Amino acid sequence: MLERNGLRIAAVSYDSPEVLQTFAEKHGIEFPLLSDRDSAVIRGFGIFNNNIAPGLRAHGVPHPVEYLVAPDGTLIRKYFVPNYQHRVTASEVVLREFGTTGEDAAVVSLRSGALTVEIGFSSARAFAGQEIGFFANFTLEPGWHVYGRPLPTPYAAVSIDFDDSRIVRQLFEPPEARPMKIDALNETLPVYSGSFRGLGSLLLKFPFEAGHTMVTGKLHFQQCSETVCEAPETLSFELPLTIEPFMVAPRTK
Amino acid sequence: MALEIPADLAEKAAIMREFRRRRDAGEPVSEQLYAAHVNATNDHYATGPDPGQHIPDFTLPDQRGALRSLSNLSGPNGLLLVFHRSADW
Repeated sequence: MLERNGLRIAAVSYDSPEVLQTFAEKHGIEFPLLSDRDSAVIRGFGIFNNNIAPGLRAHGVPHPVEYLVAPDGTLIRKYFVPNYQHRVTASEVVLREFGTTGEDAAVVSLRSGALTVEIGFSSARAFAGQEIGFFANFTLEPGWHVYGRPLPTPYAAVSIDFDDSRIVRQLFEPPEARPMKIDALNETLPVYSGSFRGLGSLLLKFPFEAGHTMVTGKLHFQQCSETVCEAPETLSFELPLTIEPFMVAPRTK
Repeated sequence: MALEIPADLAEKAAIMREFRRRRDAGEPVSEQLYAAHVNATNDHYATGPDPGQHIPDFTLPDQRGALRSLSNLSGPNGLLLVFHRSADW
């Protein structure tokens, strides 16, 4: 998935090349696993985990961070999650950087009045503890708009919530809304019209039971035209997601 | 970057040892101990360089022993460089 988009992947840890070779062979990993035996590169990046006393097995590990680096060494973006059992997925990176999702990732289409919204995950499958991406493509008929933020009451801005206790952190980032003067109200409010896309991320709980599951969410919005303003609406939707069985790292010592 | 050694290192080490002992022994880990372990591990969470900055140069051996650096790792659009804890445990 990364390769198709012109990206390669490499992983850095403090393990020896021998340990990395064993791990790569066991799991069929082809991409480079880099050995930072004395954690010098980890320190150089400023991400050495200094909570772990010398003598403990984990002494020398980094805070987990993923960097998307341009070929000239410029950092494009970084991904990190506040729990070492959580990981960002490649599919989220590809969705964010290139706008594409996994081929078998599900998409749900919602429609109400002048608004059509397609919502989908970055991938059809994930491991517990990973972070996946989602997108929402909005299309409004001409003359209609929905609201962004910041927004005074009683208007309702576009938002998406996943009401699932297995999601420990969620974020939805619509693009910046355009200020529009509403003559009938003599107010200027942030709006979206035409077509726009919002991106979000979902951090999945760890542990999380493996298997096929449905993840439910709610889309909130309020659609208005120059002459009509509908009441705020909430549409429920569900998307399938397959949780892969937990993989335990081999004990090589 | 200066390396700051937290004063509570010993306390954290006790939490980490107990967490590992219980897991290795197959004993249940309470939610409280799990939370204490995660918090001890994530204190001073640092994420390194910021977007727009250059990452530090590096050269490291891969699993086959070949020396690798950004120029021979990157694809045409870049490299996803993942720092993780260990492939050993």
